[in-house]
Amino acid sequence: MLDELLLSWENTYKKGQLTLWIFMALQESRKYVDEIKSFIEEKSNGTISCEEQSLYRSLRKFEHIDVVAYELQEGNKGPDRKYYYMTEMGQELFNRFVNRNIRLFYSNEIINILKPKK
Amino acid sequence: MKTITPYLLWFTLTITVLTVVFRFILSYGIENDSVTVITASAIFYGFLMFGSGWYFGWKESDYLPIYDIGFRFHLTTYIVHNAITLLWLGLGFGSQYEDMKISVLIIIYWGILLLIHFIFFLWSRKNAIKNLDKNDLFE
Repeated sequence: MLDELLLSWENTYKKGQLTLWIFMALQESRKYVDEIKSFIEEKSNGTISCEEQSLYRSLRKFEHIDVVAYELQEGNKGPDRKYYYMTEMGQELFNRFVNRNIRLFYSNEIINILKPKK
Repeated sequence: MKTITPYLLWFTLTITVLTVVFRFILSYGIENDSVTVITASAIFYGFLMFGSGWYFGWKESDYLPIYDIGFRFHLTTYIVHNAITLLWLGLGFGSQYEDMKISVLIIIYWGILLLIHFIFFLWSRKNAIKNLDKNDLFE
């Protein structure tokens, strides 16, 4: 029962998380899609998984609204790779989002609340 | 312009071919007074036009979900169908029994429907940022 409830909550919670993880990946450094995917899966301890197609779809939308751009760089083999990065507006958007929604969790009060209780 | 996507261009090419073929068969049917040919070609043409709009629209939304409530595809259909019809009749490829006035009336009545669609399109833009649905931007 508890596992089922947790899974249900997590499924709802994860909706909308992909954008944050993509932006965090690009905040770290310029990346191509495979690297973004690996970053997300690794840093989220496997709790967030994403298909390449979903990533491409999101990145195309972000590119369309000018928050993400890419530059072509030579790959190891095969065609050039698209290395994505945040534009100035994307960086500003990310900063403001983090300030309003993520930094809340840094306060001592919230940290104390989040500590596991018996 | 980013709203002219590769899928919209493929759709335009497809309906251009379909419309030319339809015009040819329709004029043949009218010339030979064949109700069967006229009816069958119109139904078949309608289904294929709708099907190609559905297919390319779906492919496009998977590529980039432009939020225009189908207006670009409707406008493209209107321009292609009516331009080919006018050219077909104007250049004398139509049947001798075809009347240009009917085609002009279709353009006017369809144009009114297109205008209504355009108003709804403008209305829908309130929910869009750079032509993308603001509720669907961030997943």
